[in-house]
Amino acid sequence: MKVPKSKSKRKVFVKTPGGKTIVHYKPKKPKVAHCSNCGDSLKGVIRGTSAQIKNATKTQKRPTRPYGGVLCSKCTRETIKNKARSQ
Amino acid sequence: MIEVGRKCIKLAGRDAGKKAIIVEIQDDTYVLIDGEVRRKKCNINHLELLNEVVKISKGASSEEVAKALGIDLKKTKPKPKVERPKKVRGKKKLLEEKSKEKPKKKAETKTKPTQKEETLETLADEGKETKEGQSSSESQKSPISDKPKPKKE
Repeated sequence: MKVPKSKSKRKVFVKTPGGKTIVHYKPKKPKVAHCSNCGDSLKGVIRGTSAQIKNATKTQKRPTRPYGGVLCSKCTRETIKNKARSQ
Repeated sequence: MIEVGRKCIKLAGRDAGKKAIIVEIQDDTYVLIDGEVRRKKCNINHLELLNEVVKISKGASSEEVAKALGIDLKKTKPKPKVERPKKVRGKKKLLEEKSKEKPKKKAETKTKPTQKEETLETLADEGKETKEGQSSSESQKSPISDKPKPKKE
């Protein structure tokens, strides 16, 4: 039996209708980007390897908003409020 | 606090961080806005109100608002409507090319006799001129150069 040994794939165990369990190999995805301030997961950014992000379009990498792709929506509102009140 | 002419800053959307003026009050929650921001209705929760008030009439145009704030108006020319060129692939392309060729051939045959008529007219004119006293060699050369080439599209 051929058993591939690769650390770049992840194992998924599948139960067949005959009663056996089989291993399926699937590719791995990198994790989601996080807000630099609070640590929540960012929306509007694709999960991709560095090569996939390099070839992606501008709108796939950030939302069209100031501090898009860096801060979550809550943190942007708070920073804008603090700037306005300090002046 | 919420009144016509109150200065504020927008917190959400593409226009976040930009200054605006309240132009009209619509509801307990919605308000019309203009300034550095697009002229739109906005939720009061998405606004940060400042301490200044400006004199404006209710429902003022964007030009008056720009004067009050001290900004230059963005002038955008309206683009003429142009249809997108549609891509045709496969069988449809072959059918279109065939249909285009047939009327073109008819058009070419129609243009040819008109070209011949023009050359005949030039020959007739030049024949008269030779009688007057010009050299015959000019008349022989000119009809060949005057023949326009048939256009192949």
